[in-house]
Amino acid sequence: MKRVLDVFRGRLMLSTIALAALSGCASVSLEQQMAKVNDETGPFTDGRLALARTDRERTQRAQTAADLLKAPVGQREAVHLALVNSPALQALLARGWAESADAAQVGRIANPVFSFERMVAGSELELGRALSFGLLDLLTLPSRQGIARRQIDQSQLRLASEVVDQITQVRQAWVRAVTAQQTFAYAQQVLTSAEASADLARRLQSVGTFNRLSRAREQAFYADAATRLATAGHQATASREELVRLLGLDETQAQALRLPERLPDLPKQALEPDAVGSLATRGRLDIRLAQAELQTSAQAQGLNTFTSFTDIELTARRNTRFDNESGTKSTARGFEIDVRLPVFDWGGLQRDAMNARTLAATNRLEATLRVAGSSLRESYSAYRTAYDIARHHRDEVVPLRKVISEENLLRYNGMLIGVFELLADSRDQVSTVMAAIDAEQQFWLADAALQASLIGRPTNTTLSVNASAPSGGGAGH
Amino acid sequence: MTSRRDFFRYAGVTGGAVAISAVSRVAMAALPEPVIQTRPDTMPPLVPDSGTPYNPVVTLNGWTLPWRMNQGVKEFHLVAEPVVREMAPGFKAHLWGYNGQSPGPTIEVVEGDRVRVFVTNKLPEHTSIHWHGQRLPSGMDGVSGLTQPSIQPGKTFVYEFVARRPGTFMYHPHADEMTQMAMGMMGFWVTHPKARHPLIDEVQRDFCFLLNAYDIDPGSYTPKTMTMTDFNLWSWNSRIFPGIDTLNVRLNDKVRIRIGNLTMTNHPIHVHGHEFTVTGTDGGPTPKASRWPEVTADIAVGQMRQIDFVADEEGDWAFHCHKSHHTMNAMGHNVPMLIGVDHSGVARKINKLIPEYMVMGERGMADMTEMEMPIPDNTAPMMTGEGPFGSVEMGGMFSVLKVRRDQKPGDYKDPGWFKHPEGTVAHEYTGPLAEPARFKAEGGQSMPRVQSPAKVTEVQVRKPASHSGH
Repeated sequence: MKRVLDVFRGRLMLSTIALAALSGCASVSLEQQMAKVNDETGPFTDGRLALARTDRERTQRAQTAADLLKAPVGQREAVHLALVNSPALQALLARGWAESADAAQVGRIANPVFSFERMVAGSELELGRALSFGLLDLLTLPSRQGIARRQIDQSQLRLASEVVDQITQVRQAWVRAVTAQQTFAYAQQVLTSAEASADLARRLQSVGTFNRLSRAREQAFYADAATRLATAGHQATASREELVRLLGLDETQAQALRLPERLPDLPKQALEPDAVGSLATRGRLDIRLAQAELQTSAQAQGLNTFTSFTDIELTARRNTRFDNESGTKSTARGFEIDVRLPVFDWGGLQRDAMNARTLAATNRLEATLRVAGSSLRESYSAYRTAYDIARHHRDEVVPLRKVISEENLLRYNGMLIGVFELLADSRDQVSTVMAAIDAEQQFWLADAALQASLIGRPTNTTLSVNASAPSGGGAGH
Repeated sequence: MTSRRDFFRYAGVTGGAVAISAVSRVAMAALPEPVIQTRPDTMPPLVPDSGTPYNPVVTLNGWTLPWRMNQGVKEFHLVAEPVVREMAPGFKAHLWGYNGQSPGPTIEVVEGDRVRVFVTNKLPEHTSIHWHGQRLPSGMDGVSGLTQPSIQPGKTFVYEFVARRPGTFMYHPHADEMTQMAMGMMGFWVTHPKARHPLIDEVQRDFCFLLNAYDIDPGSYTPKTMTMTDFNLWSWNSRIFPGIDTLNVRLNDKVRIRIGNLTMTNHPIHVHGHEFTVTGTDGGPTPKASRWPEVTADIAVGQMRQIDFVADEEGDWAFHCHKSHHTMNAMGHNVPMLIGVDHSGVARKINKLIPEYMVMGERGMADMTEMEMPIPDNTAPMMTGEGPFGSVEMGGMFSVLKVRRDQKPGDYKDPGWFKHPEGTVAHEYTGPLAEPARFKAEGGQSMPRVQSPAKVTEVQVRKPASHSGH
């Protein structure tokens, strides 16, 4: 008798261990999670993400951030800084981990229920013990674990895609901040030049060779330059602060942040459309996310066809009866199976819902596939156009303006034109330089957007055309 | 054929003249071979070796066209063609002219000569030649459409007439005149008297030149032919100071200068140190009773004035158009008056608005040095010319009459700067300087204004300390 009980106990133990082992397969650790996200986004961010949990880790990261802040922060460094420093990004990672953990939960079976009952009837004492667990849970375990894995995948892909989004924002904010700073510095230069001319006009008036009208006209440029400088100053602050927020810098760090004086030079060559196409087909996040979603719902549907009908519960029961009067004890052992009869609800609605979900997922995948190509083409076009325009400014427009200004200076030297004609020309120079800076900004924004689109987080930038309006021949006799 | 031999002989006389070779010799068999001048210098006078002898003229920065005698007819060959004329050292203009230069060569004949002029058109458009001031058959007057068909590109026309009256004349196109004269097509014609003439004195030096004007944008080469009034280059024989040769004479020489005006405005031509009389116009010698001494003769548009004087004052005498902006080269008319205002470096500050990193290696920094004050390519400085005492600060219609005791007769070479006798040069006064007394009462007004100005404006005149940079 006792032996039989032991055997039963042994079996129970085994199956519990087996269950634990089985369910363990669908678990997810933070390290795995981070490794996966880093695999996905590594080439994109060019750095590693990590969720800091201990003080030591936090100090280490603060140190890295401090090191990065020592030199002017380039675009690449800005991304690194965001990776190690941004609390928002850390929050994102933590949330992602939570999501994955929730998803893993699906792959586990409900814990067995142990029930104990004690009944006294007269002199009889009956102790009932029952260990029951869902048989259906157990039978469908493999497929549920599959679902869990897919959901973990899905949450990891979603996380990766959010990271990409964040990093793209960092990149673009960096571009804007550097541009605004560059524009601000340039506005200061313009002001100095305008100041010189206003000063000259003032001196001319004071010796009597200029009247009030002519002087006022020259002064107007100066006044205009001052307005521009003020606006540019605010723009520089605003875009810098946006970057500060995205990098998650604290007060001290924000003060330490230095940016390069100007945007990097344009790449020697733009990415070719072929290269972009082949890059894009390899593992786009959005497509894989849609695929994972479809697979999850397809698998869930398979499981659902079964579970929607019925539920089966297996119970091992052992009842021991003590008869105090006779002093005997008898033990009854047995199994119990509960089957929920699909009498009223055949689970049709549940299956319909699942069907619909799968159908939706299928179509979402299809939509994603179709959108992916189109948005990539648009991104590429924005990138390529911005590149061509910026290059055109660099190789054609600015040098032309330079030639004009040099030739004007020669004419000024020869007293063929006056100093105020130089000034009129300098206004054209200002708008050309502004347009050139703007064109470079557009390129770098489009570049960041294209990178995000390539990895599967379609981001499009609107190209704004800010052509300089040079005055034609005008001054020059 | 004597032309080949003539050519070599004339080549010796006229300096850099060469025969044209582009036209086939067979085709040219009936024509005198055209002589082409390659240098813009003043050539020595062409002493006639055939026909009636005369005292030849010297064309300022120009030359006289050699001819050939053909059965008693003087034959000339003018080739109308695009030329590159050096207007001043370092400044060349793409003009149209005759036989390699603009203006064309001077044609010298003697009263009563039968003259035959072949005109070959190598221009991209039709042309004709009008013999300004000559008595000739109407059909030889050269007005295309009116008296003859125009000479089409590649064609050669012949003009033939007798030089009936002595005098100074001009020649120029009378087909698309505005363009062709703005491009520099013109030349001088002198008909010497065949015998002593009561109204034409014998002279030792006889100079001639044409007044012309161009509008060439600084840094470019070709005149803007549509310009009506705003010319920027005022030239003598398509040369501008300091590219105009000096008029070098011997002390007590009787000097004649013939000046024709083919610009679109008048030019008061002024000689320093001497008085002259206008002894002739394109209408011929003036009656003696009409002559009076002058130092400036205004030459109106389309006119010629012949002035005579005795060069009896030694020295270097300025000789120029008295419109002061005509003694300037290309200049801006909207340049503000900057005298008395320190504007050093302002231009650079104003103009330097393109950051260095944006354009690299476009131009070297060498030509941007402050000291050199570079000006556009192919542009004559607005005013320049280094004299023995510093910059002359002139341009355009300006030259120097050099009267020298030791200048040999018939020698036209530049004798260099005048050696002033001791104590005859203005110099700085180094003695004590007393402040001149000024009167508040000086100046005033005849009656007060109804509205008085808000503020009394004081006009200050300051002389520039140093303004030699431009």
